[in-house]
Amino acid sequence: MYRSQKLALRYLAAAITLFGVMTVAGLLSALYYVEPSLLYNVFDFQMAKILHIDTLVIWLLMGFIGAVYWFLPKELGREVVGIRLAEVLFFVFCAAVAVVAVVFVVVQYGGSNQFSMWFINQGRKYVEAPRWAAVGIVVVVLTFVYNVTATAWRARKMTGILWVLILDLVPLTVLYLDAFPQITNMSHDLYWWWWLVHMWVEATWEVLIGCLMAWTLMELMGTSRRIVETWLYIEVMLVLGTGILGLGHHYFWIGTPQYWLGIGGFFSALEPLPLLGMVVHAVYDAGTHRMKTTNRPSFYWVLAEAFGNFIGAGVWGFMMTLPQINLYSHGTQWTVSHGHFAFWGAYGCGVIAIAYLVLQQTRGSTQFDSRAWKWSFALLNVGLLGMVGGLLVAGITQAVYERAQGGSTLQAFVVASENQWFQSGMYARLIFGAVFALGYAILVYDLLAIGKRVAIAPKPQVSTA
Amino acid sequence: MTHAGLISTAVLLGLFVLAGGGYGILYGAGMLRASVRLERAAYLCYATQAAVAVAVCLSSPLNPLWKLFIAASCIAYGFIPPLTWRLLEAMHHPTVR
Repeated sequence: MYRSQKLALRYLAAAITLFGVMTVAGLLSALYYVEPSLLYNVFDFQMAKILHIDTLVIWLLMGFIGAVYWFLPKELGREVVGIRLAEVLFFVFCAAVAVVAVVFVVVQYGGSNQFSMWFINQGRKYVEAPRWAAVGIVVVVLTFVYNVTATAWRARKMTGILWVLILDLVPLTVLYLDAFPQITNMSHDLYWWWWLVHMWVEATWEVLIGCLMAWTLMELMGTSRRIVETWLYIEVMLVLGTGILGLGHHYFWIGTPQYWLGIGGFFSALEPLPLLGMVVHAVYDAGTHRMKTTNRPSFYWVLAEAFGNFIGAGVWGFMMTLPQINLYSHGTQWTVSHGHFAFWGAYGCGVIAIAYLVLQQTRGSTQFDSRAWKWSFALLNVGLLGMVGGLLVAGITQAVYERAQGGSTLQAFVVASENQWFQSGMYARLIFGAVFALGYAILVYDLLAIGKRVAIAPKPQVSTA
Repeated sequence: MTHAGLISTAVLLGLFVLAGGGYGILYGAGMLRASVRLERAAYLCYATQAAVAVAVCLSSPLNPLWKLFIAASCIAYGFIPPLTWRLLEAMHHPTVR
Protein backbone atom coordinates (compact mmCIF):
# COMPACT_ATOMS: atom_id res chain seq x y z
CA MET A 1 0.00 0.00 0.00
CA TYR A 2 1.25 3.47 -0.89
CA ARG A 3 1.77 6.03 1.88
CA SER A 4 -0.77 8.16 0.09
CA GLN A 5 -3.34 5.42 0.55
CA LYS A 6 -2.59 5.20 4.26
CA LEU A 7 -3.19 8.93 4.38
CA ALA A 8 -6.45 8.37 2.48
CA LEU A 9 -7.60 5.99 5.22
CA ARG A 10 -6.90 8.65 7.84
CA TYR A 11 -8.82 11.25 5.85
CA LEU A 12 -11.78 8.92 5.41
CA ALA A 13 -11.75 8.06 9.14
CA ALA A 14 -11.72 11.77 9.98
CA ALA A 15 -14.55 12.35 7.49
CA ILE A 16 -16.74 9.66 9.05
CA THR A 17 -15.99 11.04 12.53
CA LEU A 18 -17.05 14.54 11.46
CA PHE A 19 -20.14 13.00 9.85
CA GLY A 20 -21.02 11.91 13.39
CA VAL A 21 -20.41 15.40 14.82
CA MET A 22 -22.61 16.80 12.07
CA THR A 23 -25.36 14.31 12.95
CA VAL A 24 -25.26 15.14 16.66
CA ALA A 25 -25.25 18.90 15.97
CA GLY A 26 -28.15 18.37 13.56
CA LEU A 27 -30.15 16.46 16.16
CA LEU A 28 -29.51 19.23 18.66
CA SER A 29 -30.61 21.84 16.09
CA ALA A 30 -33.82 19.86 15.52
CA LEU A 31 -34.45 19.72 19.28
CA TYR A 32 -34.50 23.54 19.54
CA TYR A 33 -37.53 23.66 17.25
CA VAL A 34 -39.61 21.52 19.58
CA GLU A 35 -38.06 22.87 22.80
CA PRO A 36 -37.08 26.49 22.04
CA SER A 37 -35.78 27.27 25.54
CA LEU A 38 -33.35 24.36 25.45
CA LEU A 39 -29.85 25.43 26.60
CA TYR A 40 -30.97 29.04 26.41
CA ASN A 41 -27.99 31.37 26.82
CA VAL A 42 -25.75 28.35 27.29
CA PHE A 43 -25.51 26.95 23.79
CA ASP A 44 -27.98 28.63 21.47
CA PHE A 45 -29.49 27.40 18.23
CA GLN A 46 -27.18 29.37 15.96
CA MET A 47 -24.08 27.67 17.35
CA ALA A 48 -25.54 24.19 16.86
CA LYS A 49 -26.51 25.19 13.32
CA ILE A 50 -23.01 26.50 12.58
CA LEU A 51 -21.47 23.27 13.86
CA HIS A 52 -23.96 21.22 11.83
CA ILE A 53 -23.32 23.00 8.53
CA ASP A 54 -19.58 23.59 8.89
CA THR A 55 -18.93 19.95 9.78
CA LEU A 56 -21.04 18.96 6.78
CA VAL A 57 -18.73 20.95 4.51
CA ILE A 58 -15.58 19.64 6.18
CA TRP A 59 -16.56 15.96 6.33
CA LEU A 60 -17.40 15.93 2.65
CA LEU A 61 -14.24 17.85 1.77
CA MET A 62 -12.12 15.42 3.82
CA GLY A 63 -13.90 12.51 2.16
CA PHE A 64 -13.13 13.91 -1.31
CA ILE A 65 -9.48 14.61 -0.44
CA GLY A 66 -9.11 11.14 1.08
CA ALA A 67 -10.64 9.52 -1.99
CA VAL A 68 -8.25 11.35 -4.32
CA TYR A 69 -5.26 10.30 -2.18
CA TRP A 70 -6.52 6.72 -2.50
CA PHE A 71 -7.04 6.64 -6.25
CA LEU A 72 -4.19 8.90 -7.38
CA PRO A 73 -1.21 6.52 -6.87
CA LYS A 74 -3.18 3.72 -8.52
CA GLU A 75 -3.96 5.93 -11.47
CA LEU A 76 -0.36 7.01 -11.94
CA GLY A 77 1.45 3.93 -10.64
CA ARG A 78 3.64 5.88 -8.23
CA GLU A 79 3.71 7.47 -4.80
CA VAL A 80 2.23 10.94 -4.48
CA VAL A 81 4.81 13.73 -4.70
CA GLY A 82 5.07 15.73 -1.47
CA ILE A 83 3.38 13.04 0.59
CA ARG A 84 5.30 13.95 3.75
CA LEU A 85 3.94 17.50 3.64
CA ALA A 86 0.44 16.13 3.02
CA GLU A 87 0.78 13.82 6.04
CA VAL A 88 1.87 16.67 8.30
CA LEU A 89 -0.93 18.90 7.04
CA PHE A 90 -3.52 16.21 7.71
CA PHE A 91 -2.75 16.43 11.42
CA VAL A 92 -2.65 20.24 11.25
CA PHE A 93 -6.05 20.16 9.49
CA CYS A 94 -7.57 17.87 12.13
CA ALA A 95 -6.11 19.93 14.99
CA ALA A 96 -7.43 23.13 13.41
CA VAL A 97 -10.92 21.65 13.01
CA ALA A 98 -10.87 20.52 16.65
CA VAL A 99 -9.70 23.95 17.90
CA VAL A 100 -12.34 25.75 15.83
CA ALA A 101 -15.04 23.39 17.13
CA VAL A 102 -13.95 23.96 20.74
CA VAL A 103 -13.98 27.74 20.20
CA PHE A 104 -17.49 27.50 18.68
CA VAL A 105 -18.70 25.47 21.65
CA VAL A 106 -16.93 27.33 24.46
CA VAL A 107 -16.34 30.93 23.31
CA GLN A 108 -19.16 31.01 20.73
CA TYR A 109 -19.03 34.68 19.70
CA GLY A 110 -17.20 37.95 20.27
CA GLY A 111 -17.53 41.63 19.52
CA SER A 112 -17.63 43.18 16.05
CA ASN A 113 -13.88 43.53 15.75
CA GLN A 114 -10.81 42.13 14.04
CA PHE A 115 -9.98 39.84 16.96
CA SER A 116 -13.32 38.05 16.67
CA MET A 117 -12.91 37.66 12.93
CA TRP A 118 -9.42 36.21 13.25
CA PHE A 119 -9.89 34.00 16.30
CA ILE A 120 -13.59 33.31 17.00
CA ASN A 121 -15.88 33.47 14.01
CA GLN A 122 -15.35 34.96 10.56
CA GLY A 123 -19.04 35.81 10.45
CA ARG A 124 -19.79 34.55 6.96
CA LYS A 125 -22.49 31.90 6.72
CA TYR A 126 -21.25 28.33 6.04
CA VAL A 127 -17.60 29.48 6.19
CA GLU A 128 -17.68 30.72 9.77
CA ALA A 129 -14.28 29.26 10.69
CA PRO A 130 -12.14 32.14 12.03
CA ARG A 131 -9.71 33.73 9.62
CA TRP A 132 -6.63 31.83 10.88
CA ALA A 133 -8.39 28.53 10.19
CA ALA A 134 -9.61 29.75 6.80
CA VAL A 135 -5.99 30.54 5.89
CA GLY A 136 -5.10 27.03 7.09
CA ILE A 137 -7.74 25.52 4.81
CA VAL A 138 -6.22 27.39 1.86
CA VAL A 139 -2.78 25.96 2.75
CA VAL A 140 -4.19 22.42 2.98
CA VAL A 141 -6.03 22.74 -0.34
CA LEU A 142 -2.99 24.26 -2.07
CA THR A 143 -0.85 21.38 -0.82
CA PHE A 144 -3.48 18.96 -2.10
CA VAL A 145 -3.45 20.65 -5.53
CA TYR A 146 0.36 20.50 -5.53
CA ASN A 147 0.27 16.78 -4.63
CA VAL A 148 -2.05 15.98 -7.52
CA THR A 149 -0.44 18.13 -10.21
CA ALA A 150 3.19 17.40 -9.24
CA THR A 151 2.49 13.65 -9.14
CA ALA A 152 0.96 13.73 -12.62
CA TRP A 153 3.86 15.86 -13.85
CA ARG A 154 6.51 13.57 -12.34
CA ALA A 155 4.76 10.45 -13.63
CA ARG A 156 4.72 11.95 -17.15
CA LYS A 157 1.24 10.53 -17.47
CA MET A 158 -2.12 12.12 -17.91
CA THR A 159 -5.53 10.50 -18.10
CA GLY A 160 -8.89 12.03 -18.97
CA ILE A 161 -10.10 11.79 -15.37
CA LEU A 162 -6.94 13.49 -14.12
CA TRP A 163 -7.29 16.31 -16.62
CA VAL A 164 -10.82 16.97 -15.46
CA LEU A 165 -9.77 16.72 -11.81
CA ILE A 166 -6.82 19.12 -12.14
CA LEU A 167 -8.83 21.64 -14.15
CA ASP A 168 -11.56 21.43 -11.51
CA LEU A 169 -9.15 21.98 -8.62
CA VAL A 170 -8.28 25.44 -9.95
CA PRO A 171 -11.76 27.01 -9.53
CA LEU A 172 -12.34 24.93 -6.40
CA THR A 173 -9.31 26.58 -4.76
CA VAL A 174 -9.81 30.06 -6.19
CA LEU A 175 -13.48 30.19 -5.23
CA TYR A 176 -12.66 29.49 -1.59
CA LEU A 177 -10.80 32.83 -1.54
CA ASP A 178 -14.29 34.30 -1.71
CA ALA A 179 -14.55 33.47 2.00
CA PHE A 180 -12.19 36.33 2.83
CA PRO A 181 -13.43 39.73 1.62
CA GLN A 182 -14.99 42.11 4.13
CA ILE A 183 -17.63 43.84 2.02
CA THR A 184 -19.93 46.14 3.94
CA ASN A 185 -22.66 46.39 1.29
CA MET A 186 -24.83 43.35 1.96
CA SER A 187 -25.98 42.90 -1.65
CA HIS A 188 -22.40 42.99 -2.92
CA ASP A 189 -21.29 40.68 -0.18
CA LEU A 190 -23.99 38.11 -0.90
CA TYR A 191 -23.38 38.40 -4.63
CA TRP A 192 -19.78 37.18 -4.27
CA TRP A 193 -20.42 34.90 -1.34
CA TRP A 194 -22.83 32.86 -3.50
CA TRP A 195 -20.00 32.32 -5.96
CA LEU A 196 -18.28 30.33 -3.24
CA VAL A 197 -21.32 28.46 -1.93
CA HIS A 198 -23.10 27.74 -5.20
CA MET A 199 -20.08 27.16 -7.40
CA TRP A 200 -18.62 24.73 -4.91
CA VAL A 201 -21.82 22.78 -4.38
CA GLU A 202 -23.38 22.88 -7.84
CA ALA A 203 -20.28 23.07 -10.03
CA THR A 204 -16.80 22.21 -8.72
CA TRP A 205 -17.93 19.57 -6.22
CA GLU A 206 -20.20 18.00 -8.85
CA VAL A 207 -17.21 17.64 -11.16
CA LEU A 208 -15.01 16.34 -8.33
CA ILE A 209 -17.53 13.68 -7.30
CA GLY A 210 -17.91 12.84 -11.02
CA CYS A 211 -14.16 12.08 -11.19
CA LEU A 212 -14.32 10.03 -8.00
CA MET A 213 -17.35 8.08 -9.22
CA ALA A 214 -15.52 7.41 -12.51
CA TRP A 215 -12.65 5.77 -10.59
CA THR A 216 -15.13 4.00 -8.31
CA LEU A 217 -17.08 2.51 -11.22
CA MET A 218 -13.86 1.31 -12.86
CA GLU A 219 -12.88 -0.57 -9.70
CA LEU A 220 -16.32 -1.63 -8.52
CA MET A 221 -17.74 -2.89 -11.79
CA GLY A 222 -14.72 -3.08 -14.05
CA THR A 223 -16.22 -0.45 -16.36
CA SER A 224 -13.71 0.48 -19.04
CA ARG A 225 -11.80 3.74 -18.87
CA ARG A 226 -13.07 4.77 -22.30
CA ILE A 227 -16.68 4.56 -21.10
CA VAL A 228 -16.26 6.35 -17.77
CA GLU A 229 -14.17 9.10 -19.35
CA THR A 230 -16.63 9.67 -22.19
CA TRP A 231 -19.47 9.84 -19.69
CA LEU A 232 -17.45 12.13 -17.43
CA TYR A 233 -16.89 14.62 -20.27
CA ILE A 234 -20.60 14.65 -21.11
CA GLU A 235 -21.56 15.01 -17.46
CA VAL A 236 -19.09 17.83 -16.86
CA MET A 237 -20.34 19.66 -19.95
CA LEU A 238 -24.00 19.36 -18.93
CA VAL A 239 -23.51 20.02 -15.22
CA LEU A 240 -21.39 23.10 -15.81
CA GLY A 241 -23.61 24.24 -18.69
CA THR A 242 -26.64 24.36 -16.42
CA GLY A 243 -25.01 24.79 -13.02
CA ILE A 244 -22.85 27.88 -13.53
CA LEU A 245 -25.66 30.25 -14.49
CA GLY A 246 -28.02 28.32 -12.22
CA LEU A 247 -26.19 30.49 -9.66
CA GLY A 248 -28.81 33.07 -10.57
CA HIS A 249 -31.48 31.38 -8.43
CA HIS A 250 -29.61 32.70 -5.39
CA TYR A 251 -29.74 36.23 -6.82
CA PHE A 252 -33.52 36.55 -6.92
CA TRP A 253 -34.01 38.47 -3.67
CA ILE A 254 -30.67 39.98 -2.67
CA GLY A 255 -30.91 43.30 -4.50
CA THR A 256 -29.44 42.27 -7.86
CA PRO A 257 -30.94 43.43 -11.20
CA GLN A 258 -34.22 41.89 -12.35
CA TYR A 259 -32.70 39.96 -15.27
CA TRP A 260 -31.38 37.43 -12.77
CA LEU A 261 -34.96 36.21 -12.28
CA GLY A 262 -35.00 34.98 -15.87
CA ILE A 263 -31.41 33.75 -16.05
CA GLY A 264 -31.46 32.02 -12.68
CA GLY A 265 -34.88 30.45 -13.19
CA PHE A 266 -34.07 29.22 -16.69
CA PHE A 267 -30.71 27.61 -15.99
CA SER A 268 -31.65 26.11 -12.66
CA ALA A 269 -34.78 24.63 -14.23
CA LEU A 270 -32.47 22.93 -16.75
CA GLU A 271 -30.42 21.34 -13.96
CA PRO A 272 -32.61 18.19 -13.62
CA LEU A 273 -32.02 17.25 -17.27
CA PRO A 274 -28.43 15.92 -16.90
CA LEU A 275 -29.53 14.23 -13.66
CA LEU A 276 -32.15 12.29 -15.64
CA GLY A 277 -29.41 11.08 -17.97
CA MET A 278 -27.42 9.92 -14.93
CA VAL A 279 -30.42 7.98 -13.61
CA VAL A 280 -30.76 6.16 -16.96
CA HIS A 281 -27.03 5.42 -16.78
CA ALA A 282 -27.41 4.01 -13.25
CA VAL A 283 -30.21 1.72 -14.44
CA TYR A 284 -28.01 0.59 -17.35
CA ASP A 285 -25.03 -0.17 -15.10
CA ALA A 286 -27.13 -1.94 -12.48
CA GLY A 287 -28.90 -4.00 -15.15
CA THR A 288 -25.86 -5.02 -17.18
CA HIS A 289 -24.18 -6.22 -14.00
CA ARG A 290 -27.41 -7.87 -12.83
CA MET A 291 -26.83 -6.27 -9.42
CA LYS A 292 -23.90 -8.67 -8.96
CA THR A 293 -20.74 -7.30 -7.43
CA THR A 294 -18.18 -8.35 -4.85
CA ASN A 295 -18.87 -5.20 -2.87
CA ARG A 296 -22.62 -4.81 -2.42
CA PRO A 297 -22.49 -2.01 0.16
CA SER A 298 -20.47 0.22 -2.15
CA PHE A 299 -22.62 -0.70 -5.15
CA TYR A 300 -25.87 0.14 -3.34
CA TRP A 301 -24.49 3.42 -2.06
CA VAL A 302 -23.47 4.34 -5.64
CA LEU A 303 -27.04 3.63 -6.76
CA ALA A 304 -28.40 5.64 -3.83
CA GLU A 305 -26.19 8.50 -4.96
CA ALA A 306 -27.62 8.52 -8.51
CA PHE A 307 -31.26 8.35 -7.40
CA GLY A 308 -30.82 10.59 -4.35
CA ASN A 309 -29.16 13.25 -6.48
CA PHE A 310 -32.01 13.16 -8.99
CA ILE A 311 -34.79 13.36 -6.42
CA GLY A 312 -33.07 15.67 -3.92
CA ALA A 313 -31.56 18.12 -6.36
CA GLY A 314 -33.87 17.55 -9.33
CA VAL A 315 -37.39 17.03 -7.99
CA TRP A 316 -37.06 18.97 -4.74
CA GLY A 317 -35.10 21.73 -6.47
CA PHE A 318 -37.54 22.13 -9.35
CA MET A 319 -40.49 22.45 -7.00
CA MET A 320 -39.15 25.74 -5.71
CA THR A 321 -36.71 27.14 -8.23
CA LEU A 322 -38.96 29.24 -10.47
CA PRO A 323 -39.02 32.84 -9.20
CA GLN A 324 -42.79 33.01 -8.64
CA ILE A 325 -42.61 30.02 -6.27
CA ASN A 326 -39.24 30.92 -4.83
CA LEU A 327 -40.59 34.30 -3.70
CA TYR A 328 -42.51 32.38 -1.02
CA SER A 329 -40.30 29.35 -0.44
CA HIS A 330 -36.79 30.80 -0.08
CA GLY A 331 -35.37 30.81 3.41
CA THR A 332 -38.09 28.50 4.76
CA GLN A 333 -37.75 24.90 5.94
CA TRP A 334 -38.66 23.98 2.37
CA THR A 335 -35.17 25.09 1.32
CA VAL A 336 -33.73 23.15 4.25
CA SER A 337 -35.56 20.05 3.01
CA HIS A 338 -34.08 20.48 -0.47
CA GLY A 339 -30.60 21.11 0.97
CA HIS A 340 -30.66 17.96 3.11
CA PHE A 341 -31.86 15.74 0.29
CA ALA A 342 -29.54 17.16 -2.37
CA PHE A 343 -26.38 17.06 -0.21
CA TRP A 344 -27.11 13.52 0.88
CA GLY A 345 -27.85 12.30 -2.63
CA ALA A 346 -25.13 14.14 -4.47
CA TYR A 347 -22.26 13.78 -2.01
CA GLY A 348 -22.94 11.92 1.23
CA CYS A 349 -23.85 8.63 -0.44
CA GLY A 350 -20.83 8.94 -2.77
CA VAL A 351 -18.31 9.32 0.08
CA ILE A 352 -19.82 6.32 1.92
CA ALA A 353 -19.62 4.25 -1.30
CA ILE A 354 -15.93 5.13 -1.65
CA ALA A 355 -15.28 4.31 2.03
CA TYR A 356 -16.66 0.78 1.50
CA LEU A 357 -14.63 0.34 -1.69
CA VAL A 358 -11.43 1.43 0.04
CA LEU A 359 -12.06 -0.81 3.04
CA GLN A 360 -12.59 -3.88 0.85
CA GLN A 361 -9.27 -3.30 -0.87
CA THR A 362 -7.52 -2.57 2.43
CA ARG A 363 -8.84 -5.68 4.12
CA GLY A 364 -8.32 -7.90 1.08
CA SER A 365 -11.77 -9.38 1.34
CA THR A 366 -13.18 -10.93 -1.84
CA GLN A 367 -16.76 -11.15 -0.62
CA PHE A 368 -17.59 -7.99 1.22
CA ASP A 369 -20.97 -8.30 2.85
CA SER A 370 -22.67 -8.06 6.24
CA ARG A 371 -26.10 -7.61 7.78
CA ALA A 372 -25.10 -4.37 9.44
CA TRP A 373 -24.56 -2.43 6.20
CA LYS A 374 -28.13 -3.25 5.13
CA TRP A 375 -29.46 -1.91 8.42
CA SER A 376 -27.38 1.23 8.24
CA PHE A 377 -28.31 1.74 4.57
CA ALA A 378 -32.01 1.38 5.38
CA LEU A 379 -31.99 3.49 8.55
CA LEU A 380 -29.89 6.30 7.08
CA ASN A 381 -32.05 6.54 3.97
CA VAL A 382 -35.39 6.13 5.76
CA GLY A 383 -34.23 8.65 8.37
CA LEU A 384 -33.25 11.10 5.69
CA LEU A 385 -36.50 10.65 3.74
CA GLY A 386 -38.47 11.20 6.94
CA MET A 387 -36.48 14.31 7.78
CA VAL A 388 -36.90 15.87 4.34
CA GLY A 389 -40.61 14.96 4.38
CA GLY A 390 -41.11 16.64 7.75
CA LEU A 391 -39.12 19.69 6.67
CA LEU A 392 -41.10 19.90 3.45
CA VAL A 393 -44.42 19.97 5.34
CA ALA A 394 -43.04 22.60 7.74
CA GLY A 395 -41.61 24.64 4.87
CA ILE A 396 -44.81 24.64 2.82
CA THR A 397 -46.68 25.71 5.95
CA GLN A 398 -44.29 28.64 6.33
CA ALA A 399 -44.56 29.56 2.63
CA VAL A 400 -48.36 29.58 2.85
CA TYR A 401 -49.08 31.07 6.29
CA GLU A 402 -46.06 33.27 6.80
CA ARG A 403 -45.41 34.43 3.24
CA ALA A 404 -48.44 34.07 0.94
CA GLN A 405 -51.12 34.82 3.54
CA GLY A 406 -49.25 36.75 6.19
CA GLY A 407 -47.06 38.94 4.01
CA SER A 408 -43.79 38.03 5.78
CA THR A 409 -44.43 40.13 8.87
CA LEU A 410 -43.06 39.22 12.29
CA GLN A 411 -46.59 38.39 13.40
CA ALA A 412 -46.97 36.07 10.40
CA PHE A 413 -43.68 34.37 11.31
CA VAL A 414 -44.99 33.69 14.82
CA VAL A 415 -48.34 32.46 13.50
CA ALA A 416 -46.65 30.08 11.05
CA SER A 417 -44.27 28.81 13.76
CA GLU A 418 -47.22 27.95 15.98
CA ASN A 419 -49.17 26.26 13.21
CA GLN A 420 -49.71 22.58 13.97
CA TRP A 421 -48.54 21.50 10.51
CA PHE A 422 -45.24 23.32 11.09
CA GLN A 423 -44.84 21.81 14.54
CA SER A 424 -45.75 18.31 13.36
CA GLY A 425 -43.18 18.65 10.59
CA MET A 426 -40.50 19.63 13.07
CA TYR A 427 -41.37 16.72 15.38
CA ALA A 428 -41.18 14.36 12.40
CA ARG A 429 -37.77 15.81 11.54
CA LEU A 430 -36.56 15.16 15.08
CA ILE A 431 -37.86 11.59 15.21
CA PHE A 432 -36.45 10.69 11.80
CA GLY A 433 -33.25 12.50 12.73
CA ALA A 434 -32.92 10.00 15.58
CA VAL A 435 -33.49 7.16 13.08
CA PHE A 436 -30.73 8.66 10.91
CA ALA A 437 -28.41 8.87 13.93
CA LEU A 438 -29.04 5.18 14.68
CA GLY A 439 -28.19 4.39 11.07
CA TYR A 440 -24.96 6.36 11.48
CA ALA A 441 -24.00 4.39 14.60
CA ILE A 442 -24.52 1.10 12.75
CA LEU A 443 -22.57 2.46 9.77
CA VAL A 444 -19.58 3.18 12.03
CA TYR A 445 -19.82 -0.31 13.56
CA ASP A 446 -19.99 -1.87 10.12
CA LEU A 447 -17.09 0.15 8.73
CA LEU A 448 -14.98 -1.03 11.65
CA ALA A 449 -16.05 -4.68 11.38
CA ILE A 450 -16.91 -5.54 7.78
CA GLY A 451 -14.49 -7.79 5.95
CA LYS A 452 -12.41 -8.42 9.07
CA ARG A 453 -13.90 -11.76 9.96
CA VAL A 454 -12.15 -14.48 8.02
CA ALA A 455 -14.16 -17.60 7.35
CA ILE A 456 -12.36 -20.42 9.16
CA ALA A 457 -12.54 -23.75 7.42
CA PRO A 458 -13.53 -26.64 9.73
CA LYS A 459 -10.57 -28.71 10.85
CA PRO A 460 -10.42 -32.07 9.14
CA GLN A 461 -11.52 -34.87 11.43
CA VAL A 462 -8.65 -37.21 12.17
CA SER A 463 -9.80 -40.74 12.52
CA THR A 464 -8.35 -42.55 15.52
CA ALA A 465 -9.75 -45.86 14.55
CA MET B 1 -50.20 34.16 -6.34
CA THR B 2 -52.73 32.74 -3.90
CA HIS B 3 -51.64 30.21 -1.30
CA ALA B 4 -53.66 27.51 -3.09
CA GLY B 5 -51.95 28.41 -6.36
CA LEU B 6 -48.56 28.28 -4.65
CA ILE B 7 -49.06 24.77 -3.29
CA SER B 8 -50.66 23.33 -6.43
CA THR B 9 -47.99 24.81 -8.73
CA ALA B 10 -45.10 23.61 -6.56
CA VAL B 11 -46.59 20.13 -6.31
CA LEU B 12 -47.19 20.02 -10.07
CA LEU B 13 -43.60 21.09 -10.76
CA GLY B 14 -42.29 18.40 -8.42
CA LEU B 15 -44.53 15.80 -10.07
CA PHE B 16 -43.34 16.97 -13.47
CA VAL B 17 -39.72 16.04 -12.73
CA LEU B 18 -40.68 12.94 -10.74
CA ALA B 19 -42.72 11.59 -13.66
CA GLY B 20 -39.74 12.34 -15.91
CA GLY B 21 -37.54 10.30 -13.56
CA GLY B 22 -40.06 7.44 -13.58
CA TYR B 23 -40.01 7.54 -17.36
CA GLY B 24 -36.21 7.32 -17.41
CA ILE B 25 -36.01 4.47 -14.91
CA LEU B 26 -38.78 2.39 -16.49
CA TYR B 27 -37.50 3.04 -20.00
CA GLY B 28 -34.05 1.80 -18.95
CA ALA B 29 -35.50 -1.23 -17.15
CA GLY B 30 -37.74 -2.02 -20.13
CA MET B 31 -34.84 -1.92 -22.57
CA LEU B 32 -32.66 -4.04 -20.30
CA ARG B 33 -35.24 -6.76 -19.89
CA ALA B 34 -36.72 -6.31 -23.35
CA SER B 35 -40.04 -5.97 -21.56
CA VAL B 36 -42.90 -4.40 -23.48
CA ARG B 37 -44.83 -3.99 -20.23
CA LEU B 38 -42.08 -1.94 -18.62
CA GLU B 39 -41.69 0.10 -21.76
CA ARG B 40 -45.42 0.83 -21.76
CA ALA B 41 -45.21 1.82 -18.11
CA ALA B 42 -42.38 4.19 -19.08
CA TYR B 43 -44.51 5.83 -21.74
CA LEU B 44 -47.37 6.05 -19.23
CA CYS B 45 -45.02 8.01 -16.96
CA TYR B 46 -44.12 10.26 -19.84
CA ALA B 47 -47.80 10.76 -20.62
CA THR B 48 -48.31 11.68 -16.96
CA GLN B 49 -45.48 14.18 -17.26
CA ALA B 50 -47.09 15.66 -20.37
CA ALA B 51 -50.45 15.85 -18.57
CA VAL B 52 -48.77 17.63 -15.66
CA ALA B 53 -47.17 20.07 -18.12
CA VAL B 54 -50.60 20.76 -19.62
CA ALA B 55 -52.02 21.30 -16.13
CA VAL B 56 -49.22 23.74 -15.31
CA CYS B 57 -49.85 25.62 -18.57
CA LEU B 58 -53.61 25.81 -18.08
CA SER B 59 -54.09 26.22 -14.36
CA SER B 60 -50.97 27.64 -12.72
CA PRO B 61 -50.42 31.36 -12.13
CA LEU B 62 -46.91 31.15 -13.63
CA ASN B 63 -45.76 33.76 -16.13
CA PRO B 64 -46.51 32.70 -19.78
CA LEU B 65 -42.80 32.43 -20.59
CA TRP B 66 -42.32 29.91 -17.79
CA LYS B 67 -45.28 27.94 -19.11
CA LEU B 68 -43.65 27.89 -22.53
CA PHE B 69 -40.44 26.72 -20.90
CA ILE B 70 -42.25 23.87 -19.12
CA ALA B 71 -43.87 22.79 -22.40
CA ALA B 72 -40.51 22.89 -24.21
CA SER B 73 -38.70 20.99 -21.48
CA CYS B 74 -41.46 18.36 -21.51
CA ILE B 75 -40.57 17.69 -25.13
CA ALA B 76 -36.85 17.55 -24.21
CA TYR B 77 -37.57 15.01 -21.44
CA GLY B 78 -39.12 12.76 -24.06
CA PHE B 79 -35.81 12.45 -25.91
CA ILE B 80 -33.39 12.12 -23.00
CA PRO B 81 -33.88 8.43 -22.01
CA PRO B 82 -33.79 7.04 -25.60
CA LEU B 83 -30.81 9.22 -26.54
CA THR B 84 -28.94 8.37 -23.35
CA TRP B 85 -29.66 4.70 -23.91
CA ARG B 86 -28.41 4.83 -27.47
CA LEU B 87 -25.26 6.61 -26.32
CA LEU B 88 -24.65 4.03 -23.59
CA GLU B 89 -25.14 1.16 -26.04
CA ALA B 90 -22.74 2.81 -28.48
CA MET B 91 -20.14 3.23 -25.73
CA HIS B 92 -20.47 -0.27 -24.32
CA HIS B 93 -20.83 -2.12 -27.63
CA PRO B 94 -19.04 0.05 -30.22
CA THR B 95 -19.07 -2.63 -32.93
CA VAL B 96 -22.76 -3.54 -32.64
CA ARG B 97 -24.95 -1.64 -35.07
